[in-house]
Amino acid sequence: MLQVRDLGVAFGAVQPLSGVSFSIEKGETLGIVGESGSGKSLTAMSVMGLLPLIGGRIKSGSIEFDGQDLTKIPEKDYRKLRGGRIGLITQNPMTSLDPLQKIGPQVDAVAELHLDMTATQARARTVEILGTLRIPEPALICERYPHQMSGGMKQRIVIAMALAADPDVLIADEPTTALDVTVQAQIIRLLDDLVKERDLALILITHDMSVVAQTCDKVVVMYAGRAIENGAVATIFDAPQHPYTQALIGCIPRGLSEGAKITGIPGTVPTVMNYPKGCPFHPRCDRAQDVCGTNQPAFVGRGGGATACHFPGAAA
Amino acid sequence: MTSLLEVRDLSKRFTSGGGPFRRARSMHAVNGVSFDLPRGRVIGVVGESGCGKSTLARLILRLIEPSAGTLRFEGDDLLAKTAREMRALRADMQMVFQDPYSAIDPRYTVARAVAEPFGIQGRVPSGSMTDEVAGLLEMVGLNPGLADSFPHQISGGQKQRVGIARALALRPSLLVLDEPTASLDVSVQAQIISLLEQLRDDLELTYLFISHDLSLVKYFCDEILVMYLGRVVEALPSTDAPARHPYTRTLMDSTFEPDPKLRRIIAPLEGEVPSPFDLPPGCAFADRCPQATALCRDETPPLATRGGHPVACHHPI
Repeated sequence: MLQVRDLGVAFGAVQPLSGVSFSIEKGETLGIVGESGSGKSLTAMSVMGLLPLIGGRIKSGSIEFDGQDLTKIPEKDYRKLRGGRIGLITQNPMTSLDPLQKIGPQVDAVAELHLDMTATQARARTVEILGTLRIPEPALICERYPHQMSGGMKQRIVIAMALAADPDVLIADEPTTALDVTVQAQIIRLLDDLVKERDLALILITHDMSVVAQTCDKVVVMYAGRAIENGAVATIFDAPQHPYTQALIGCIPRGLSEGAKITGIPGTVPTVMNYPKGCPFHPRCDRAQDVCGTNQPAFVGRGGGATACHFPGAAA
Repeated sequence: MTSLLEVRDLSKRFTSGGGPFRRARSMHAVNGVSFDLPRGRVIGVVGESGCGKSTLARLILRLIEPSAGTLRFEGDDLLAKTAREMRALRADMQMVFQDPYSAIDPRYTVARAVAEPFGIQGRVPSGSMTDEVAGLLEMVGLNPGLADSFPHQISGGQKQRVGIARALALRPSLLVLDEPTASLDVSVQAQIISLLEQLRDDLELTYLFISHDLSLVKYFCDEILVMYLGRVVEALPSTDAPARHPYTRTLMDSTFEPDPKLRRIIAPLEGEVPSPFDLPPGCAFADRCPQATALCRDETPPLATRGGHPVACHHPI
């Protein structure tokens, strides 16, 4: 459905993203996981074709969607895809909605634009979608303003907007980060149901490995603007090969199940202005050798996944 | 053995609005909270936004004044203290704030921020101030070479370490930690948590740990208070005690494990935390509770020991 190959992004001379590859099929959930500044949101912006808005451009690689390379199509064609066949759910539902407009017209606009519906048809569709998202009294909600709704309800409205044009691919960028845990669970359940019922391809971008473990089929782990490991969710958690993936899993407190002491990773995530030479993780890695500081490790496939590390393998 | 901190029926009511055309509305941010914090223990307070956990933290240090209740610290009645006496006492009870970005004055160097408590308390360290600051920075795992840096030159994790060094400057016995890792990346959160564990052992500290993250609280704390809309709904005496309040059970079911083999079926619990203003009588969770009855909507259940530990529910699980 969607295949990203060796994607690189540049802002002038700065290259915050390079070597990102992944693919996703219908009915699958792919997690893109990483800490702040790892490039996961930038990956989403690239697929949505929104880089020019923030002054960036795709420098290398390809984004194949349904047989065409999105890095080569004109903006006019991208407009049809964006919000149409590729939907986006952003992190902060508070800023994704127009505070001056009622909920109804905001959701209607999507179907009017992408499905050429009349206002009446679009409203009927809006009410139906709000209903499937378990929003009580959808017709009444259409007459409300965003400030009259709770955070979880607003996030459902944003999901409704992403679904209104019946997309094939849905990109959810930290969809639950701004929400309380009980509401997060409701939204995750909702997204899970949507993938199954509508045969959607869902790309879930998150910093939370527990959310990945709960929902994803496949995972891409990112660090400092690079994909450093990918694979099936069971492999990533049971037999991670990259020392960063191993350390990241070791950082999560296991409150409910038994687990070892958490220790953290020494040092901090590098910012884009000071990405290290060679492997981006080598200054914090206990396995690093001289070669790690000079040569960027290639992505090497293994079983169903791949790792970019000079010394991959289980933790010592 | 007496507790380091004794909290009884602590309440804080805020009012909002009120004027010629508008009736004032009031809310109980903290409502009748009681607990004992023994020396050396770590008690976690967990709940969703608006449950009153941060207000509780501020009440305990008397950063805001309670509307009712009593507070005893080492047996002393805190609410009877004058502002001057309270200031002296705070050397022994300190707070680490959620946002290290706003907790440190951006114009202060790290050294000045860490030394500031000495000036406020009119104390002089036994050695030189430079040595004292260097010692405190080392204690929290920072290179003393950072002493002359400004907050914008160091990372979020380093800033939180400065916040901890500052709180420890006068060697308090109680630290109130208000979401100390909420704004940090997981790899840095893990560093801070392991630092706090080590400091507790080295300095024999007592912690009150406020968090929205049940996994983290279960990992870090000895006992857990679960709050919902200003009240403690359950007091778990240990981290493996079974949840008896339906809200605690909901929180646990909503918390995911970092292991795909432990995926859970998410119960379709609907609704969100209601507005804390003008709550109806009865149990505040009744509207979202699968087993609520008429009794729950009429009468607020008291926090009473049922089946091993205190739970505020008419129909505990």
